[in-house]
Amino acid sequence: MSARDSILSAIRTGLGGSRNDPAAIAAEAADLLAAPETIRPPLVAATPVDAFCEKSEALGATVDRIGSIDEVPASVGRYLEGQGLSAEIAVESAALFRDLDWGDLRPRLAVAPDAPAAVGLARHGIAESGSLVIHSGKETRILLAFLPLHHIVVLRAASIVSHLEDYAALLVGHETSPRNAVLITGPSGTTDIEGSYVRGAHGPGFVHVILVFDA
Amino acid sequence: MTATTRPGFKARSDAALANPTLKTAIDRTTGTAERKRAAALARFAEYEAARSRGSAIKDHVIANLDHYLEMFERNATASGAKVHWAATESEACDIVIRLCREAGAKRVTRSKSMLGEEIGLPDALGSAGIERVETDLAEHIIQLAGEHPSHIIWPAMHRTREQVAELFNADHKPPPADDEAASMVQSARHVLREKFLSADVGISGANFLIADTGATCTVTNEGNAELTTTPPRVHIVTAGIEKLVPSTSHAMALLRLLVRSATGGELTQYTTFHCGPKRPGDADGPEKMHIVLVDNGRSEMIANEFRDMLRCIRCGACMNHCVVYRQIGGHAYGGTYPGPMGAVLTPVLDGLAQSRDLPFACTMNGRCAEVCPVEIPLPTLLRAWRGRSWRAGLEGATMRAGLGAWAGLARRPGLYRMASGIGVRALRLLGRSGWIGSLPFAGGWTRHRDLPGPTGGTFMERYKAERGKRPEDRR
Repeated sequence: MSARDSILSAIRTGLGGSRNDPAAIAAEAADLLAAPETIRPPLVAATPVDAFCEKSEALGATVDRIGSIDEVPASVGRYLEGQGLSAEIAVESAALFRDLDWGDLRPRLAVAPDAPAAVGLARHGIAESGSLVIHSGKETRILLAFLPLHHIVVLRAASIVSHLEDYAALLVGHETSPRNAVLITGPSGTTDIEGSYVRGAHGPGFVHVILVFDA
Repeated sequence: MTATTRPGFKARSDAALANPTLKTAIDRTTGTAERKRAAALARFAEYEAARSRGSAIKDHVIANLDHYLEMFERNATASGAKVHWAATESEACDIVIRLCREAGAKRVTRSKSMLGEEIGLPDALGSAGIERVETDLAEHIIQLAGEHPSHIIWPAMHRTREQVAELFNADHKPPPADDEAASMVQSARHVLREKFLSADVGISGANFLIADTGATCTVTNEGNAELTTTPPRVHIVTAGIEKLVPSTSHAMALLRLLVRSATGGELTQYTTFHCGPKRPGDADGPEKMHIVLVDNGRSEMIANEFRDMLRCIRCGACMNHCVVYRQIGGHAYGGTYPGPMGAVLTPVLDGLAQSRDLPFACTMNGRCAEVCPVEIPLPTLLRAWRGRSWRAGLEGATMRAGLGAWAGLARRPGLYRMASGIGVRALRLLGRSGWIGSLPFAGGWTRHRDLPGPTGGTFMERYKAERGKRPEDRR
């Protein structure tokens, strides 16, 4: 008997048989998600956007609000200047960024293993936790979110969802799931040495969100 | 992994209690964890409801585990991953080593996984001549020290900052600037960065397996999971079969409990869902993804008195709040998993004969069950092991004689009252200062701590005295 068969048969013996009623099991699973407001914290502000900003900042991220995608280069420039960083910067190969006028900045597609800063694109924000959601894909490199010390993330305000389940509901079935979906909640950190918190373990030590309020 | 039972639990805990820095190191981390968890729960008014729901989700999964495993396998396969099944720890290691060899792997990076420790994967990789690079900071520390984890969330919590500095100074080129935690984290970031990018295979564990997408979910605070799983050609996940959840939404409900209970955060910095290998056109990612589903004793627990333990989501709150763990630390337990949950699991994994001391290393104060986010009745499960140990004849002659004498007395109420009357007076005499600092013939009880002296008579004396009184007049 294969390991698979012996494990499944041991489980069925332990359970006293298989229920073999997928519809009933699915209904039970759905009931376990009923009344989500009773098992999750309410948002910390009146709107998802305000709650997202408040949570992000509490986690140590910074947020710049701008009115349109065209203002991204200026916002990036302000951040780099404020942090004393070079104008040469890794930028995601997204179509959205290619058409922008980067002015004095020198955007590069390559992201070096010790890149000081990189500009990426988040698919969603989650208001409950202040998380940024990044999906791997043709236009998004997962490593761009992990190699640099400063991760600058462009996020459309309209793509902010309220709670974790609201994002989870978008991932049903393998067809809708990217290879890698990551919820980034504040800068990388560790408490592995004597429990004391140190920022910037392996991932970015700084997360800067550029929140775009366009239509 | 088999328990390192030599030199025996008593000798290991004696050594731990005699270690001058261990208690300090444990208190620093568990103390912070306890405070942060309490603060996080104070901000989460829905916790009790979320906790019952979380327990119900896990119970539902276990009650339909065959269904969810098959559903997961179907969806993971459809996403392009290959699913493997391992009944035992050695089968699991064999599969991983074979996959590494097929990939021509010389260097493997590993993102912390307790299941990996449970099946002995670090040693198996070493024996196969494959270079293993631990990427979690704490795992990096204990790899340098040649040790096993002493806690499931903070594997290196038994080491002080100065001890970590010593290890890094010997290994890191260049060494850290000084022995401040920040400099040492910086140094590890630098040293490990090059290894991340040159690994052939990345191995991770899973906090959850999502049945309806076929994805695995991993949480980290450092960002080492992505750096482990993205650059190599092959990504291997090893996970216990009890990690299933029906959907991503169910995982979210459990994540709220897991993170608050573990670190006092609301969500870890990185919550990652891996679903299959690189898609056509993807900018990065591995060409192949393998998932090894490991049983290793779990399917047996479904039918016995330890089924509730399959709800465990490995948060570590039980050990952070355990008076015994906080005295002796994790290594004294001798198994992969320490503390209360470890004392329940180690006899399953290593056999009761090897680990019968663990269920007895418990005061039954119930704090572990109180803080467990999925309501596992840990003291009840520990008591079940004590019962099994007795029935299997594993108790020594002193214990059997002592319990036999007690049972003889307990069946003769008059004699029992007389004996407990003498006992309480003797203890009162010994504890005149309020505390008992030493006990004749039972020095083991007082060598490392004082016991509070009894303040009144026996239970029956007090019961008789109070019986006639109105409630408000009772002491």
